[in-house]
Amino acid sequence: MESQIPRSKSQLPIPDYQSSNSATLKVDRVTKRYGSGATEVTAVQEVSLTVAAGEIVLIRGPSGSGKTTLLSMLGALLKPTEGTIRLDGTTLSELAENRLPDIRLRQFGFIFQDFNLLSALTALENVALVAALAGAKGKEARKRAAGLMTDLGLKERLNFLPEKLSGGEKQRVAIARALVNDPAIILADEPTANLDSKIGHEIMRLLRRIAKEQNRSVVIVSHDQRIKDIADRVLWLEDGQFKEMVTMATDPVCGMAVEREKAAAQLELDGVTYYFCSRGCRAEFEAERRGQVVGDRLTLQVGRP
Amino acid sequence: MSLARRNLFKDKTRFALSVGGVALAVMLILLLNGLLQGMNAQISAYLEHAPGSLVVAQDGVRNLLGATSLLPPGTAGDVKARGAAKVVPILSQFIILDLHDKKQPVYLVGYDRAQGGGPWQLTAGREPRRDTEVVFDRILAGRHNIAPGDTVEIMDRDFTVVGLSEGTTSWMTSFLFIRRSAAETLLRAPGSASYLLVIPSDRVGPDLLRERLSHLSGIEVLSKREMIANDLKLFGRLFSAPLQMMTAIAFLVGTLVVGLVIYTATVERQREYGVLKAIGARNGVLYRLVATQALIAALSGAVIGVGLAYGASELIMALRPQFLIVLEPAESARAILSGLGMALLAALFPARAIAGLAPAEVFRR
Ligand SMILES: Nc1ncnc2c1ncn2[C@@H]1O[C@H](COP(=O)(O)OP(=O)(O)OP(=O)(O)O)[C@@H](O)[C@H]1O
Ligand SMILES: [Mg+2]
Repeated sequence: MESQIPRSKSQLPIPDYQSSNSATLKVDRVTKRYGSGATEVTAVQEVSLTVAAGEIVLIRGPSGSGKTTLLSMLGALLKPTEGTIRLDGTTLSELAENRLPDIRLRQFGFIFQDFNLLSALTALENVALVAALAGAKGKEARKRAAGLMTDLGLKERLNFLPEKLSGGEKQRVAIARALVNDPAIILADEPTANLDSKIGHEIMRLLRRIAKEQNRSVVIVSHDQRIKDIADRVLWLEDGQFKEMVTMATDPVCGMAVEREKAAAQLELDGVTYYFCSRGCRAEFEAERRGQVVGDRLTLQVGRP
Repeated sequence: MSLARRNLFKDKTRFALSVGGVALAVMLILLLNGLLQGMNAQISAYLEHAPGSLVVAQDGVRNLLGATSLLPPGTAGDVKARGAAKVVPILSQFIILDLHDKKQPVYLVGYDRAQGGGPWQLTAGREPRRDTEVVFDRILAGRHNIAPGDTVEIMDRDFTVVGLSEGTTSWMTSFLFIRRSAAETLLRAPGSASYLLVIPSDRVGPDLLRERLSHLSGIEVLSKREMIANDLKLFGRLFSAPLQMMTAIAFLVGTLVVGLVIYTATVERQREYGVLKAIGARNGVLYRLVATQALIAALSGAVIGVGLAYGASELIMALRPQFLIVLEPAESARAILSGLGMALLAALFPARAIAGLAPAEVFRR
């Protein structure tokens, strides 16, 4: 039985392009284990998630919680050990290995923390190459790339080598590259980690605009607390599983994520409730607060209510 | 694909290195082959220019340059009687000369000017008319500063150089020509001949004549072609095996140079290839990418190598005229093909590295 893959149109209408490609990504009880025996690591455990077309989902969580592993499985870069991942009618997790490159090329756009542009190619060529991989003829690929990059404010940078671009410009080139084959889903792993906060914010707003104006789904993995306001939904991944964000708080002393209901200790101060992983942390917090004026830093570290 | 070109040209030193490696390898291959060709041409030059299509030698002697032959008296007449239009006797021998205290092997040919078998092109002077005159190979003479008019000692007798002969050199043995009567005295073989260069009569033809001669005792009859082939084999056994081995080594070295350069370039850009794989490029696309790089490097190297070989052979022959290097266009084409072979083999080095790349690795830092 031939499964249905949403097809992309080769032509992106320019300038105010509208995606002709949108799809729903459905993750059902997905588990990923690395290694075997004594060294086995369960990086992601029975995670379920549905990303609707045009939705922006932000995945946060401590280091090593499985965010990148999950994102890789979403993008058909990695096969889940168990569970299914479906893009509209196509079950990605069951497809033969040799069919995955084409799905990645046409259905997904990838954005990386360190941009990952090809150093020998100009900005324009970096984008056009990916269009060419999907079958666009040289001239048509360049035209499409140039149009897209102009929209992203890179008109004056088309013929620059990556090494001559600023971080924000590089990430915009990477976004153009991710968009050039009109994908249904954009996947970004820490896209702002190498950028200063102002540029990081711009990139995030750009991703939001892409999601909303072009009806593409965007899944972002990020540590960056400042960007949660652009997301439609924020998910907290810990030990390979989603924890309900509403019940999560961050220990202001050690920075650990704490489930409010199960917090070892809590403290109400000036109308704000703080949650702690241990009594020790609360004691330290109290001592510090008694000794000095409340700093912005502490307020900022309070978990999302 | 332009990415292949860009990746290759991004690091100029590395590109130059791989091109240079192939160029030198191809040049070496061409020069070695050219040397072999040249040697063969030199070895066969005398017989190629000698009259006749059959050669008669002493029984058991099947080559010209590597053996001493002395025919039974009266052989020339016997051969003629059985249907030869012309029989040219030569008395020849491989000897060692003392030239300015340097031992110099030469091939001495005693011939009759009226009959033939002497030098076929003189660049200076004339053929020997007396028993004390000698025609020297031009290049051998040049190497020892011998000019027409000079006296040289050959087997304890003084000879005057009266002419210089062209195309009779070889770095092993060069040819000297004296009158046959002089050779008879020198080699203490009055009235003898070593070889007969035989032109069969039209009436009898070479095959029938050869058949008839086979009944004569004490002689060996070969076609000129067979004789040349035997001479080539004799020297070929000495030189062509090592030369061919060196050719093979040059090919391997060229392959290794391109292979290593392309391999390191690939490993260095492993992350970029991984990114391409993650984005959706198939392995085939990436293989083609590295193969194209190897191809560009190897083919430009090969073309430069052909050019270098022509330059180097001119230079070598100018500095050391005893070496003849024959570069044939077909050989150049083969050398460029071998560059192609190097590229394809070299592309195998990084193929594994690419096949082993896991696309998910791009998200790892
Ligand atoms: N290829 C692998 N082989 C073995 N274990 C792995 C592999 N990749 C990841 N892991 C393990 O799986 C777990 C989840 O890793 P992952 O990279 O997905 O976490 P993360 O949330 O992205 O972390 P970070 O925020 O530091 O990027 C970690 O314990 C990690 O060590
Ligand atoms: Mg990660």
